[in-house]
Amino acid sequence: MLELTALTKTFGETVAVNNVSLRIDRGEIVGVIGRSGSGKSTLLRLINRLTPATSGTVSWDGLPIYDLKGRDLRRWRRRCAMIFQQFNLAPRLDVITNVLIGVVAERPLATSLVKHFPATDRARAIRELEALDMVHAALQRAGTLSGGQQQRVAIARALMQDPELILADEPVASLDPMNAEAVMEALKTATRERGIPVLVSLHSLEIARRHCSRIVAMSKGRIIFDGCPSGLSHEEVERIYSGRLAGVTIASHNDLEVAA
Amino acid sequence: MSVMSAQTRPVTRNWGLVRGILWTALGLAAVVAMIMDLGLSPKGMAAGFGKLGQFLAAMVPPSDGGDFSRILAALIETLAMALAGTCLGVLAAIPLGIIGAKNVVRNPVFHFIYRRGLDIFRGVPALVWALIFVAAFGLGPFGGVLALAAADIPSLSKLFAEALENGDPGPVEGVRAAGVSPLLELRFGLAPQMAPIMASQCLYFLESNFRNAAVLGIVGAGGIGFELEERIRVFAFDQVAFIILLYIVAVSLLDTASAWLRRTLR
Repeated sequence: MLELTALTKTFGETVAVNNVSLRIDRGEIVGVIGRSGSGKSTLLRLINRLTPATSGTVSWDGLPIYDLKGRDLRRWRRRCAMIFQQFNLAPRLDVITNVLIGVVAERPLATSLVKHFPATDRARAIRELEALDMVHAALQRAGTLSGGQQQRVAIARALMQDPELILADEPVASLDPMNAEAVMEALKTATRERGIPVLVSLHSLEIARRHCSRIVAMSKGRIIFDGCPSGLSHEEVERIYSGRLAGVTIASHNDLEVAA
Repeated sequence: MSVMSAQTRPVTRNWGLVRGILWTALGLAAVVAMIMDLGLSPKGMAAGFGKLGQFLAAMVPPSDGGDFSRILAALIETLAMALAGTCLGVLAAIPLGIIGAKNVVRNPVFHFIYRRGLDIFRGVPALVWALIFVAAFGLGPFGGVLALAAADIPSLSKLFAEALENGDPGPVEGVRAAGVSPLLELRFGLAPQMAPIMASQCLYFLESNFRNAAVLGIVGAGGIGFELEERIRVFAFDQVAFIILLYIVAVSLLDTASAWLRRTLR
């Protein structure tokens, strides 16, 4: 179980994530929605500590994530795989090597440096690619693939990490609708089979409704909705995307007008 | 002066003329003073050009003087010096470049001092290094190799550091998110981006080192330059011409090969 408690992140004057508390159980697919700049990406990056938090805590099955250092922190990053909007593959390396990066953290340094991987790892990488229908491109350079294909390779890399949790930061935002659907399906199937919880930020409400078992909406760094997709009424959606908070203070109203 | 001010105030035009005459006179005086200081006389100039003409005439037809194998061996030695010097320089510049990159060592004070240090050494040309190393290690190609390496290290380090800084952080973050150690982040996130850029820069340096290596030979650092200098001393200008032509062919061959390699690396 992932537990965020009073999580806050400020960048200078801006509060990107404001006092967020959240619990996520195994098997859930939680969609984080909200306008751009509402703090979705930052929230995800606070969990694997690609971005350091200003205050608050994160724990996984009672393990305090913010106390981890060095090797333990890297082990945590391996256990909660991340998928990025821009795929973040190494474009000049071939697809299978990109997938194998998912196990590199657990293998001897010397052999990894020369890109030598055990046959069992390579077989495993091929199986992960097979499941995502990408095995035909295994020896192609990742940079030569289309966006949708690259994202499926990135999912294979994430699964190679044997993750206990997957963080997906706008995984389909730079894909066309067809590819977006295929990638969301692939992500859902792969994680449902293994019971891996997924925390996925999405800018498309429609995709979130269709693929997520629970939706969390953020506005100005705060969570303003948390519930099942059916609970998202028209009024709720209006509230989320207009940026108006329930019980809004006059100060933040003014901020909104300045921003507009 | 703009047209407007010239029309409204015609006096300024005269000022411009006076100033022009003054500067020209000053310039002429400087040239005359320099000629006197350097002892340049028309007689000396005529004599020099006369000799140059004789040398040029002696160059035709070029001849290897029966020493072709020795000249070829010296040419190969020069290429070997350039290759060894470049390799040595690159080996040293890789760690120095990594240390010098802003995104690897995130300390602005260190970064500033380090880069300025490299800039200072960058000002020392290979010829000066060659004079120092030949004095220290004696005549022969060893000093030349060290000189080429020493001259390349600061420039290559700076280029490598800049290539690292301009790398795309996305792949690095992708690797980091897989829980990989910093060294392997470099290996899988940055190195694949860097390799073609760095290889291309190394080839450029190999080309320029091959061209520089001839000059180093003249100060006693072995290779084709050494052969060239020997023959100039004994006025064997037909052989000088032969060596120069052979060298031009070799340089352009290397440049073509390296240009082709750099294209395929992209």
